[in-house]
Amino acid sequence: MPVFKTPFNGYSVKFSPFYENQVAVATAQNFGILGNGRVHVLQLGPTITERAAFDTADGVYDLCWSESHDSLIVAAVADGSLKIYDLSLPAAANPIRSLHEHARECHGVDFNTVRKDSFLSASWDDTVKLWTVDRPASVRTFKEHAYCVYAAAWNPRHADVFASASGDCTARIWDVREPGSTMILPAHEFEILACDWNKYDDCILATASVDKSIKVWDVRNYRVPVAVLNGHGYAVRKVKFSPHRGSMIASCSYDMSVCLWDYMVEDALVGRYDHHTEFAVGVDMSVLVEGLLASTGWDELVYVWQHGTDPRAP
Amino acid sequence: MENNGQASASGAPPKPWERAGASSSGPAPFRPPSAGNTSDVVEASGTAQPGEVVSTTNTNVNRNTVGRPVPARPWEQQQTYGSTYGGYGTGSGLNYNSGYGGGMYGSSYGGLGGGLGGGLGGGMYGSSMYRGGYGGLYGGGSGMYGGGMYGGGLGGPMGGYGMGMGGGPFGEQDPNNPYGPPSAPPSFWVSLMRVMHGVVNFFGRLAMLIDQNTQAFHMFMSALLQLFDRSGMLYGELARFVLRILGVRTKPKGVHPPGAEGLPGPHNMPGNQNYIEGPKAAPSGGWDSVWGDSK
Repeated sequence: MPVFKTPFNGYSVKFSPFYENQVAVATAQNFGILGNGRVHVLQLGPTITERAAFDTADGVYDLCWSESHDSLIVAAVADGSLKIYDLSLPAAANPIRSLHEHARECHGVDFNTVRKDSFLSASWDDTVKLWTVDRPASVRTFKEHAYCVYAAAWNPRHADVFASASGDCTARIWDVREPGSTMILPAHEFEILACDWNKYDDCILATASVDKSIKVWDVRNYRVPVAVLNGHGYAVRKVKFSPHRGSMIASCSYDMSVCLWDYMVEDALVGRYDHHTEFAVGVDMSVLVEGLLASTGWDELVYVWQHGTDPRAP
Repeated sequence: MENNGQASASGAPPKPWERAGASSSGPAPFRPPSAGNTSDVVEASGTAQPGEVVSTTNTNVNRNTVGRPVPARPWEQQQTYGSTYGGYGTGSGLNYNSGYGGGMYGSSYGGLGGGLGGGLGGGMYGSSMYRGGYGGLYGGGSGMYGGGMYGGGLGGPMGGYGMGMGGGPFGEQDPNNPYGPPSAPPSFWVSLMRVMHGVVNFFGRLAMLIDQNTQAFHMFMSALLQLFDRSGMLYGELARFVLRILGVRTKPKGVHPPGAEGLPGPHNMPGNQNYIEGPKAAPSGGWDSVWGDSK
């Protein structure tokens, strides 16, 4: 599979839930410290071509595709705003909406895959916000974390439940109908950078931390992790459960590698890809094509490849 | 560009796990999902707070049970006015925290740094702080710190200089308000980054040029020396020839002692010992048995 070079440092990559050949990439200039950002929408084929690109005044840290409409993308921007882009409109008409309620950088977004009408944003102002596509303001704010929230993830099988990962070393599980969090997992000794739910078991959650490990938790018994996956050499930046296989996990790390794990088996590390030459900070697995992976990193490259093949192979 | 996907009206195609049917290895500890759309569900539960803008200063919300000390945020640390400091890394037992920075541009300090080290523990956030670059103004300062991610990788494995990554650009304004939101990015920061980029690029090229030149010079010199060497041989050979014609008998030089025959040397073919530059006999034969010569 080919490679795509972005002008800025990559931060996040997501496959479209509608089309197997579309990928969106969030990028930020100067390693995201300051400068502009850009959202790329890429068309996969024999070569990767750019279908659309949207510039922002600040770096883009994360994005997600709408589950209800095939041309909508929500981007988390470093000025704390969320911007919604419509691919079917010309660049001049975008973003169609800019939601600015967070006081600090917005670091993660996730779209509800069950009800398909709402999304979450995680921000460095310690809060998670719930938004719906039809409203110009957030529906509610979840304030409990004592430090930056880096990621929020909807439960793929429960429309009202989500998890958040924070720098206060806890992951919390929330029900949008409850005033506070329903569960607090003191999951790691260091900051937690990402979390994701098992797609085939709605009680299994994975967290990735600065302590270089990924831990898999069962929320019914969260005193001890179900599995601890060691193997990354630096902090683990993103973790993602496979949409196709219940025990498969993809992760990317500051050790510049992308790893695949099967937490059920003894030797959990299934695959390791060292194709990035800088921090690998974005990874995703295609919902529509089994085994298709995408990754991006600070080396300004976006790779799309089939599991088991060399990402750098032409 | 043709997309072979489904129509958009009904939402994304069903996920593989939805097709797989019921889940779970047991009863989930969650309340059963409610019907209706999200905003209605939240409003029905009475927890909706539409459009709440998160305040920067009000952090007195319900922060129950963290259980661990939480590091101070970069923008809070800026309360320590005064001396310049750059890299900041909470002590990591591992590796090192490099941090340099400090006093660039008058009072503004941009600590680039922070522990790349380990990425663990330490230098959990290489924070670079930026202050509005005014003389003594305490502009809010916008800290950027990365989600536990640091160390910008400029440079090799040693980390070059870790840029406390992260974050972004600065929020808004009013550089005179000590409690206000971060000051705006003075545009010279952008230019500073560019300048630094240019400088790094320049030195990279310079280093490469120097390296290449050294190599070229070395090769040139060794070729020159070889040339001299060979021309010396040519001269000797010609001289011998001319002298021979003139009838002067010269003793052939460089006759090898029998024992030296097997020693490695340039053009030292066995049985062909007439080269002038052939290996000289060892003064005392001291080297003859170095290789355990079995001859």
